[in-house]
Amino acid sequence: MARSAVVVEHIWKKFRRGERHDSLRDLVPSLVRRALRPQPATLQREEFWALRDLSFTVNPGEALGVIGPNGAGKSTLLKILSRILRPTVGRCVLGGRVGSLIEVAAAFHPDLTGRENVFLQGAIMGMRRAEIARKFDDIVDFSGVSEFIDTPVKRYSSGMNARLGFSIAAHLDPDVLLVDEVLSVGDAGFQQQCVERMRQLIARGIPVVFVSHNLPAVLQLCTRVMVVDHGTVLFDGEPSAGVAEYRRVPWARTTHAASHDARGIMIGRVQLLDDRQTDAAVFAASSRLTVRIGYEARLPVRGHFAVDIYSADGVYCAGINSRMDRRDFGVLSGRGVVDLAFPRLSLLPGCYVISVGILDAQGLGPLDVQHRAYPFSVASDERDLGVVHLERAWRHESYASVSAGAPAAGGLE
Amino acid sequence: MKTSVSASQAMAATSVLGDLRDMVYEQFEYREVLRQMTLRDLTLRYKQTVMGFGWAVLMPLVNTAVFSVIFTRVAPLDVGMAYPLYAFCGLLAWNFFASALRFSVTSLTSNQILVSKIYFPREIFPIAAVLVALVDFAVAMVPLAALMAYYHVPVGASLVLLPVVIAIHVIFTAAIGLLLAMGNLFYRDVKYLFEVAITVWMFATSVLYPVERVGGRLGTLLGLNPMTAVIDAYRSVLLLGTWPSSALTSAAIVSIALLAMAWFAFHRAEFAFAEHL
Repeated sequence: MARSAVVVEHIWKKFRRGERHDSLRDLVPSLVRRALRPQPATLQREEFWALRDLSFTVNPGEALGVIGPNGAGKSTLLKILSRILRPTVGRCVLGGRVGSLIEVAAAFHPDLTGRENVFLQGAIMGMRRAEIARKFDDIVDFSGVSEFIDTPVKRYSSGMNARLGFSIAAHLDPDVLLVDEVLSVGDAGFQQQCVERMRQLIARGIPVVFVSHNLPAVLQLCTRVMVVDHGTVLFDGEPSAGVAEYRRVPWARTTHAASHDARGIMIGRVQLLDDRQTDAAVFAASSRLTVRIGYEARLPVRGHFAVDIYSADGVYCAGINSRMDRRDFGVLSGRGVVDLAFPRLSLLPGCYVISVGILDAQGLGPLDVQHRAYPFSVASDERDLGVVHLERAWRHESYASVSAGAPAAGGLE
Repeated sequence: MKTSVSASQAMAATSVLGDLRDMVYEQFEYREVLRQMTLRDLTLRYKQTVMGFGWAVLMPLVNTAVFSVIFTRVAPLDVGMAYPLYAFCGLLAWNFFASALRFSVTSLTSNQILVSKIYFPREIFPIAAVLVALVDFAVAMVPLAALMAYYHVPVGASLVLLPVVIAIHVIFTAAIGLLLAMGNLFYRDVKYLFEVAITVWMFATSVLYPVERVGGRLGTLLGLNPMTAVIDAYRSVLLLGTWPSSALTSAAIVSIALLAMAWFAFHRAEFAFAEHL
């Protein structure tokens, strides 16, 4: 099979702020202009660069995670890759059939039946009629809506809609895969299907570009991470280093500036430190993890610190706060850091994410919270199922001499 | 196969020749989408309306009846054949043109989600609109055949040119449809302007009366209208059994040139569509 790749060379994309007020009078001249000449590469009034000189290559077998704050240019990049937008300058080449797990049900028409929509959406995704017909039964089985396949999709729940759309996308054999936040829709089972499907494709050597805010999922799936901010690449390389770099992008600028003044205190830099007190994203199950929470208090305030740990599939693994632990940090003013150390993590291998919060003195209302902002993964050889690795010991006593028919005496088998 | 696909997906601003190659290649590559979009619109109409394709027949029939009363009783008009035949044939051909354009105008703006979220050649929207109207046109040919039988119209050898006339008609319609769809995306006024223009255009075409009767400078001007040549050509091959006049050749040249220009402009502008919705 021919191996294809994604090659992006020096792309720039500009947009215009605000509304356009074009009048019909300009119709003919502007159409002529558009037809004859591509957009000029300089900024006009009210224009800005959404992407600035982005270059990267995704080779077969690589899964590139693109992360960055809102408005960094991630969606614009994805739209350029999927050919909806054309870069102002630069070029980008995707080899072969591009599959995207973006808008998997966008072509669905509410008045058409599931069956009719499968053919329509399939064609739009690039499948031939014969191919759709051949895979039709598999698509329907996989989606789990076979009972309703001849019902108009307007009667479907949004979950059914998404499952059917995803199922079509999953049966496309793409040469390149683009994924946008699909993991955020649907129930846990559906998300697991998405992840499984992406893994299969990655394992098959399909280059994948995965744009997401879901850092645990990025760590879980990607072989490489690119951090984008203000339309430029800040980092391109190893996933855990990329996630660590992403944490250094100042959060306050984008999300917390507003709450700052009102509550008097805000979370500053948060670090996840390993045994050697260095920033890390991957921890051994037996190692120490320290959550270092920086704070900045405008006004003297009493507060408690809270840390929640969730697994990648959303399970609430642990909720810890200093008030319940009867630790009082007194009146906080100015800057400082609070360390919460876990001597042994005791979590099973996988991806997790931490939420950090500062609560008021009663431990009721939050003064500042950063939900699911700090992902990390745990590596170990443990084969347990579930969430935690429980310390344990086995013991066995045999009562083979007891006469037949007597119940086993509550011992361990 | 693989190399040609990736070549067509190079997204840099390319040469005119490159664009032309893309335009043709993409239509081939995405032919299944065109088929499915056309089927979608036909299925929808069939599902959403009780009469389904009946509407394609009813409108020209009603209009024919109305204008037959006017032009046979109120202001008798000699058109060289039974007036209902003349009018129905004209209205049928005009109806295809007008309804194809009416669907084309809003084809991009009413599919906003598809235009802004998924890529495939955007030409497919207006072209599917033309194909849907073409199916209606074919359905409405049935009552025309019945009417021809009723008036004992003989079928001549020139009927073999019917596909050529239809082809020219479709090419001209598609060209205007592409321009209107694109125009309405950038300027929503186009939709309203279109409604005015299409009414005026109908009376400037030999739909209900021979427009050459107008005479004078206005008559000369109206003579340039390619739709008159096309509609008269339908009457020649279907009703009169004569060969179409030379005006059809000019109409064919104009149509092909216009389609090439419109398509090229559309292709060059389509990358801006998602940003303008």
